[in-house]
Amino acid sequence: MLKYTIRRIIGMIPMLLLISIVVFLLAKAMPGDSLSGEIDPNNTNPEYIAEMRERLGYNDPLPVQYFDWIKGFVQGDFGKSTRYKMPVSDLIMERIPNTVFLGVSSLLITYILAFSMGIFAGRKPYTIGDHVIGGLNYLGLAIPSFIAGVFAIYIFSFNLGWTPYAGSVEVGLQEGTLEYWISRIHHVIMPAFVLGALATASYTQFLRNDIIENSRKDFVRTARAKGTATTKIYNVHILRNSIIPLITFLGFDIATIISGAIITETIFTYPGIGQLFLNSVTTNDYPTMMAITMLLSLLTLVGNLIADILYGVVDPRIRLD
Amino acid sequence: MVNVTTNAVKQQEKPINMSPFAIARRKFLRNKLAMVSSFFLLAVVIVSVLAPYITTQDITKVNIGSMSLEPGGEHVLGTDKSGRDVFTRLLYGGRISLLVGVTCTFLVILFGTVVGSIAGFYGGFVDGLLMRFTDFVLNFPFLVFVIVLNTILFGLVNGLWVLIGVISLLSWGGVARIVRSKILAEKENEYILAAISIGCKPSKVIVKHLLPNVLSTIIVQATVTFATLIVAESALGFLGFGVPQSIPSWGNMLSASQEADVLRDKPWIWMPPAIILTITILSINFIGEGLKDAFNPKSNR
Repeated sequence: MLKYTIRRIIGMIPMLLLISIVVFLLAKAMPGDSLSGEIDPNNTNPEYIAEMRERLGYNDPLPVQYFDWIKGFVQGDFGKSTRYKMPVSDLIMERIPNTVFLGVSSLLITYILAFSMGIFAGRKPYTIGDHVIGGLNYLGLAIPSFIAGVFAIYIFSFNLGWTPYAGSVEVGLQEGTLEYWISRIHHVIMPAFVLGALATASYTQFLRNDIIENSRKDFVRTARAKGTATTKIYNVHILRNSIIPLITFLGFDIATIISGAIITETIFTYPGIGQLFLNSVTTNDYPTMMAITMLLSLLTLVGNLIADILYGVVDPRIRLD
Repeated sequence: MVNVTTNAVKQQEKPINMSPFAIARRKFLRNKLAMVSSFFLLAVVIVSVLAPYITTQDITKVNIGSMSLEPGGEHVLGTDKSGRDVFTRLLYGGRISLLVGVTCTFLVILFGTVVGSIAGFYGGFVDGLLMRFTDFVLNFPFLVFVIVLNTILFGLVNGLWVLIGVISLLSWGGVARIVRSKILAEKENEYILAAISIGCKPSKVIVKHLLPNVLSTIIVQATVTFATLIVAESALGFLGFGVPQSIPSWGNMLSASQEADVLRDKPWIWMPPAIILTITILSINFIGEGLKDAFNPKSNR
């Protein structure tokens, strides 16, 4: 297993280099100084620009520039935001807790909903309850998250007044107090639900089908013959076997949450990484934009790597090839 | 006895020598949900294509006299904040959304099939190289890269075609993987060996022998891709990075809902595109499910 994991991680390195080269070339194709953000875009004096370009090494050959950039990036130097006039790394660190909080809440909601619905539908297949859950799943898979988000705000925030429609916490609350955390949860619950809808639907569907399939297997018949209670058979014998393949979904969830967060955070004006990214695009804040692009690509890669490794954990046959 | 005779009658009704595609067509035509969805989709397509003949309203003209009118009267679905008729924009928006969806799907399926079938047929080094390339493309976070590429290319070429190109460029990976795995399984059959041994060129083996046998997978995959890409286009439009704002598309119309007052008080501006988009995607999904079911020899319905 260790050997397989190490091989996977080593196999990721060329991909990482290729992606960083692509991001670097894209940054070079952007107008202006999109890597360090040191050149003031408002100062159009050609002498100033020429001097800054020389000092920042923009006249060096591309490979040299690439290595300078990647060296800085690895050490956490992401350049300076042209809009906020501060290091991009500080900007990102400010927003990351919000996005992580959103992602974790969304995963929690997904797990709670998917497990209760999946277990119920799997235990009583082809009943009314199962069909209702199946229908809900279908909607969860088909309705795009931005439409779900817009409707959620319209119904729950504006018409019912249950949840706030913007921000991550109420202004003026002391950090660390109970009210502060309650307010944060209150703010995150709607976006987290919308973000998790797609994953919930696929988890539920998978769990249901797997439970039905497992309930026909011999070990279940043996358990029944022994006289084990039905509840125990479902909750212990079958569920344990059905959960294992679900583990592999986790890696893909990371990638889904990254793409989903951009949309969800924009709809709910939730101050996270995704919103920062879109704002940086609209305000032409290229250094921020490229740093986030690189970070999100990195996270997607790590997500895929985790999925790969978990596949190996669950299915020993994969480790061999 | 009665049972036997009814069975015999049923057997006679069914032509015995049906081709797989004829069986699939028969199954599909009997699938009510898929048929209703097909008719709905067809209606949307026809209405969108014929938009200039259905309404005579100007879609670009900003009309200050009739801003944010409620539905009813002259404007069936009301007007938006610039005084443009929502119904007219909905029809024209459908044109763009469907055009982007169809074009991207065509490109994605074409490229994915070419890469997947070449990788699957040749195997070995070619396969390794092409599949690493596919992995590489699949590792990009889709939305992030579409937005970045769009920003760079914006203004260089007509915005609509940039969007189509960028979306297609980043989405073919999944199709390539699926086609490859199907081709890998299919080429183990002896008729392929026979075709190669009588001297068929590789291109001919792929096009004439392999592709027709994986066509059902490709068709099903195409419907799934179509739905996904329409969602992608409208999501980008919603965020303000899709088709240029001057062209109406369902996503662009939806982006009006980002203004709180529109979202709260003027639902007639954003609800029609949201609803029509959802129903369109649902019906494409139902058609896809229907096709999958129809092509599956194990399902008996």
